[in-house]
Parts: sequence; C-alpha cells; structure tokens
Amino acid sequence: MNRLQRQSFLGEGSEATLSTATIGIAGLGGGGSHAAQQFAHMGIGGYIPADPQCIDVTNTNRLIGGTLSDVKKGKAKVYITERLIRGLQPRARIHAVKGSWQAATELLKQCDLIIGAVDSFKEREQLERFARRYLIAYIDIGMDVHEIDHKAFLISGQVILSMPGCPCLRCCGLLTDERLEGEAKQYGAAGSRPQVVWPNGVLASTAVGLAAQLLTPWFPRPPEFTYLEYDGNKGTVSVSARVELLKGSICPHHPPDETGDPFFDIREHMKRQGKAGAGPRMRRWRSWLRGLTGRWEP
Amino acid sequence: MRLHFRITRALLDSVRIDLRRPHPFAHERVGFISAGLSAADEDVLIVAREYRAVLDEDYLRDPTVGAMMGAEAIRKALQWAMQDRLALFHVHTHGGQGLPGFSRIDLRENAKFVPDFLKVTPQCAHGAIVLSDNAARGQLGFDPRQPCMPIDSFAEIGAPIRKWRAA
Repeated sequence: MNRLQRQSFLGEGSEATLSTATIGIAGLGGGGSHAAQQFAHMGIGGYIPADPQCIDVTNTNRLIGGTLSDVKKGKAKVYITERLIRGLQPRARIHAVKGSWQAATELLKQCDLIIGAVDSFKEREQLERFARRYLIAYIDIGMDVHEIDHKAFLISGQVILSMPGCPCLRCCGLLTDERLEGEAKQYGAAGSRPQVVWPNGVLASTAVGLAAQLLTPWFPRPPEFTYLEYDGNKGTVSVSARVELLKGSICPHHPPDETGDPFFDIREHMKRQGKAGAGPRMRRWRSWLRGLTGRWEP
Repeated sequence: MRLHFRITRALLDSVRIDLRRPHPFAHERVGFISAGLSAADEDVLIVAREYRAVLDEDYLRDPTVGAMMGAEAIRKALQWAMQDRLALFHVHTHGGQGLPGFSRIDLRENAKFVPDFLKVTPQCAHGAIVLSDNAARGQLGFDPRQPCMPIDSFAEIGAPIRKWRAA
C-alpha cells in the first residue's frame, strides 16, 4: 500500500514529480512550520528550511511540531522542522540551515519554489528579489493582528504567488517605500507581535495548495499570479481586487536583465571546483558529506 | 559540476513563435537567448533573460544547411555579449515532440562559434540550444580548449512548472 495513493488524482507521475521537487522555506515560525508539515505529508522530496531562532515558550502556541521538551532544550526551529519532515519522509533531502535565509542562498538557488514566511517587509522584499534573480517561484505568506479599537482586534493576512515576469509584492501594494521606511524606524523598538495558530494554518494551507498547482498537473490552468486576502474575523480567503487590476501587466520592479549573478566568473568557479568536471565519485562523496553536515545537530 | 537552464514560459513561447516564422530564403530561423549565470554550490545555473532574432538580412544563402548566419549577425551577437557581460546561446528549433538532438552540422557550427564568444567575454560561458515544441537540449562551452558540455536539466518556469533532464 502506498502512503500517497489517495492523492493520485494530482496526475500521472505526480509522486515522482513531488519527490524530485525541492522547496525552500524561509522562516519556520507559525506559517513556515505549518507549510513544512504539509509538504512532508504531500511527499515533497527536497527541503531547504532556514531560520536562525531556537524555540521559546511563547512559540508553542503555533509552532507546528514544537514541544515543551524542545523548549527546555532550546532546540533550533530548523531541527524541529527537520524532525517533523523525517517523521513522514525519512529519506527526504534536507539541508537545514540554522541561520537567516541569506546564509542559505547557494542552496536556495536550487529550489523549485520558495515559501516566504518571514516577519518583516524588508526581508520579504529581499527574498522576492532573490527569487526573481534566479527565476524561482515565490509564495509569500503573512498575517497580522491589529488592535482597531479598545479590545477589538482584526486578524488579516495574505498569500501572494509571485512568479518571474508577473506582478510582484510591490505591484500588489504589499511592499511600499512608506512601509519599509516605517519598519526601519521602528527597528528594535517593537515587542513581540501577536500571533495565533489558526490563521497561520489557513495561510500555509492556501500556499501549499498553490504549490501543488505549480508542481503537479492536476489543475488545468493554474494562475501564474495571485493575491489572496485573508479576513480572520470573517474566516474568508478571497481574491484581491488588485488581481483583476494587474491582469496582463508586466512587473516593472524586477526587469529580466537582472537575472543571474552580475559578478559570476566561470573561470573562478572552475578553479574552485579543483578541476573541470569533478568525477561522479567525487560528486557522490561531496553530496554525502553535505547531507551529513546538513543533518548534523549541535 | 552540473548545468541547469531556467527560462520563463513566456520567453520560451515567444522564442518558439519567432522561430516558426518563414524566412524569405532560409529553411529555418535562428536567434540568440541571453542569460545570466550563477554558481549554485558546485553547479552552474543558466538563467535566461532575453531573446533576439537574427534579422532577415543577416542570413546567408547556403542550400547545404537550414540557416546560415552572416558575419554581421555574429558581430551583433558578440557586441551584445561583450557590452552586457552576458552568456549567449544560439537557438533554433527542430519542431516535433520530445527531446530534440543536435545534428552533426549543429555540433560542428557550435564548436566553431563558442570560442569566438569566449574571446570577448571569457568570464561567461556560451553555447547553443535546440528546441522541439515541448522540450529542449543544450550545450555550454567555457574553455576554448575543451569541448562543450551538455546542459543537464531544463526548467520552464510557468504554471505549472515543467522540468526535464536533457543529458
């Protein structure tokens, strides 16, 4: 009996497609941990989870897989995620990076898709720019709780699918200079922001659904761009009015001539390789070593 | 070291549409795809940027091949690669379905033009792509003293994402 037989409607060869796919997850808090769990259930084979933080007791209201025992040990969120994935996908290719996603760019470049579950607008902008530079599909998820009146709260969030050439987070109005400037001014001043588990679950599930449409052929014409707005008070996810407004528009913020690394020099790369085309034996050895160090936990 | 080529579906579709246009005398059309390069661990990513067709007047009459570019077409491409520090890929299509293959003539011509491009932009690598209607194969040269290497995998970035191994 096959663990994934009940999702065979995803299409012929979908199990192999999912198994060979690699997904980067930047941020493993409420949103990222939820997404990682669902990708593991789905049978995704490769993961680059990145997060610099260790779990603390205030994370346990939403961090999927995190336990009070992990809090006692001060376990890193990436290793909690790795454990969560391995419980379902023991042979998954996981390169867990205990650090910011910027420390994992060499690995993230190889991803088919990156999920951004980061806290700040600045990081969102950098992550999307990175994904565009290397033609990687990017799905941004985020939620916020706003106090709108004395003891009245509004829970909102968004899921944006940002594909190269299509409208970006700036086109959507999620990223603006004002927001980035405002955030920079508040840097270091803010305390922890309110977060709860169920909106993260809704947003992560929505993102995983979009990822399934991108990776498998089950849905005839999946969107190349979408902006879904979450209203946590009503419990609804709806397509933003901006999607219709941006239909057919070409993103002016990420021109195609920005792809690749402007300072890349193939001669230097080959020098670093030792000699042209290290043999398959050497590649296997390096790959094994990477896997070993990627799984190593201090 | 493995080589991975990424291109958006929109760009690839526009290349295929352009290459299908009949030419006044050549049997097929050719063009160039520019790309940025990047290291990804040991591997090299080739990330496509733009397509430029070879202009009608820059073809030579040569009945022994499907299409023959003149010196002006090569000069323009060299200029483009040098000014923008780009990797350039000569592209043509064989049509049909499935993984296409380079012909003997394709391989001979690729071996001739890649070293010229490496002279003007030795920091980049250059090569050739041959398309079918639903796949592609390619090769990349980075050292004029060595033969071109096959591109290992292609990814067509659209919804859904399509990937295929090509070597």
